[in-house]
Amino acid sequence: MELLKLEIVTPNGVIFDKDVKQVTLPGSEGEFGVLARHASLVSLLTTGVIVIETKENKTIAVAINSGYVKVDEEKTTCIVDGAVALDAEDNDISKALESAKELLKSTEASNVAIASAITKVEQMAKIL
Amino acid sequence: MASLKDIQRKIKSVKNTQKTTRAMKLVSSAKLKRTEELARKSKVYAAKLTELLSEIASKMANANCDGIDLPYFKNAENPKTVDIVFVTADKGLCGGFNSQTIKRVNLLLKEHKEAGIESRLVAVGRKGVDYFRFNGVELEKSVIGLSAAPDFEKAAALISEVAKNYLDGKTDKIILVHNGYVNMITQEVRQNQILPVDYSNLELNSVSTSELAIEPDDNNELLEALVKKYIEYTMYYALIDSLAAEHSARMQAMDAATTNAKEMVKSLSVKYNKARQEAITTELIEIISGMESMK
Repeated sequence: MELLKLEIVTPNGVIFDKDVKQVTLPGSEGEFGVLARHASLVSLLTTGVIVIETKENKTIAVAINSGYVKVDEEKTTCIVDGAVALDAEDNDISKALESAKELLKSTEASNVAIASAITKVEQMAKIL
Repeated sequence: MASLKDIQRKIKSVKNTQKTTRAMKLVSSAKLKRTEELARKSKVYAAKLTELLSEIASKMANANCDGIDLPYFKNAENPKTVDIVFVTADKGLCGGFNSQTIKRVNLLLKEHKEAGIESRLVAVGRKGVDYFRFNGVELEKSVIGLSAAPDFEKAAALISEVAKNYLDGKTDKIILVHNGYVNMITQEVRQNQILPVDYSNLELNSVSTSELAIEPDDNNELLEALVKKYIEYTMYYALIDSLAAEHSARMQAMDAATTNAKEMVKSLSVKYNKARQEAITTELIEIISGMESMK
């Protein structure tokens, strides 16, 4: 399967920069998935969860508050304000889950959006 | 000729100063390390944001001939009022760090005056505020305490207020001046036009020329959000950059001061030894001549 280059940048630096199989993003107009060779696109991101499928077939969830994404043929760049990653390799997933929830709660998005994002994060944490 | 005691006292005082300057240097270098790390991290974010903004802006400008009708991009032909936002440190003892920024601001003021443009000053940092207050220059707004501890929320609030003036038509241009960090021993005064966004000057590496789909469909909504973020982050980054430069400047100044103090102690010690020897010689002569006269 072809891979795409994904980069997630926060004000605290680059937190993710790898080749992945697929990424699902919480766009302001709805969730959408990006595979390799996706057409160029720019979108606003809202409070939600970025789900990454790595080339080792692992899943990583990244909770974000808001940001932008730019997709072009070469790579996908997410510019987000705040992000907390839930990684299966991480030993302390419950702690990461807590901080992810905190981040989601602190946003200005509507309660519904926050609630659904939190549910999603919890689900992801269970799978991981 | 200073007495022995005077010289001794002076040596002691210089040594004390040396201790202080050395401690300040150590503190600054520790703080610099932290700030530098922060600056390095945020630089990536700032760069990506600028890249994204310029790419979208230029593409949209190319797509429809009438350009972008957002006020953020309208270049006034003859700006009448210009806001200058400048960042200085809250504290001194950092060599020419603050005066360089102030010099640049003064230069801008002069240029604007010659061109018949009204300038309004927004000062961040105690040193800049004090300087212009002392010289009787009116400040539109002054913020103290932000440059020592950059905070995104506060920086965003400040620049949003300035940007609001711009949107209301009270000012035609916003310039940001700060002394930025280059490396451990160099600082550089940086001057940025924040609004209107000058995307023609932004570096464009046009990797892809393909059509760009934009979501939400309302281009302006996305662009507006992006511009807001851009100016807020530019302001915040300027604060961090300035803080890193401040620490490096202070480190340098304190290093120089410590070296100078060391040299001073050295020359004073020589002086002290000479004076001491002189006193001994005089005493000896007195004793010998006394003995001679006894014979």
